[in-house]
Amino acid sequence: MKRSWRGVIYLALVLFLSIIVTQQTVNAYFYERYQLVLVLCVINILIFPLALLIYRKERDND
Amino acid sequence: MERKPQERESKKESGSVPFPEDNYTHNIRKAGERKLDRRGFMKMMVGAAGIFAVSTLPWGGLAAKELAGIGKRRYEPAKIADLNQIGVGEAVEFAYPGKHDSALLVRLSDNDFRAYQNACTHLKCPVFWSKEQGELVCPCHHGFFDVKTGKPTGGPPQRPLPEIELKTEQGAVFATGVKRYET
Repeated sequence: MKRSWRGVIYLALVLFLSIIVTQQTVNAYFYERYQLVLVLCVINILIFPLALLIYRKERDND
Repeated sequence: MERKPQERESKKESGSVPFPEDNYTHNIRKAGERKLDRRGFMKMMVGAAGIFAVSTLPWGGLAAKELAGIGKRRYEPAKIADLNQIGVGEAVEFAYPGKHDSALLVRLSDNDFRAYQNACTHLKCPVFWSKEQGELVCPCHHGFFDVKTGKPTGGPPQRPLPEIELKTEQGAVFATGVKRYET
């Protein structure tokens, strides 16, 4: 079976997004924009199940 | 002692993996060299996303704490000066909240007082009240601050002076708190 790199690419994008959101959270905290910190925090927590979903989908396709 | 070839063969047949063989390459560990396959790599990325998600939690907690105002510091009120000691347009130096946190109280009118921690936000030189110019002046690098707001109006400083909260009571001025030092 030909291997698919789609999952790897999607996960790489999701992880990249996760890194960016983490960095922005820290920045927002030091700029004292606390509401933004909470929003970014929630986004980052929601990203994790998304990554898990992509992984599971890819695993089941194999 | 040299083993016979037959003996070596019989060990190969014994079924144990890896079969006991006399050579010098058995200490080269290849275990795990195929662990990081595509699926393992994807698992690792999911785990990393999880770690990033968890690592934002403390920041969220700190932000929530700031928004709820739990961590706000309380300062003991301290008397600065009696009203009759300060003329209108004059300034008094004092220290608040600690004895090394020098501060400046300016009387703008009969009932209008302003106080700031007077370490310049540029390089912490003491800031003075200039009655002639009507501004707070840092003589080190000619920094100027607006006396009404504490915001910098000229020179190198970019951040406002931290304001001290005041109250007037029983013919004297008291300091009751310090606003946050902007970073």
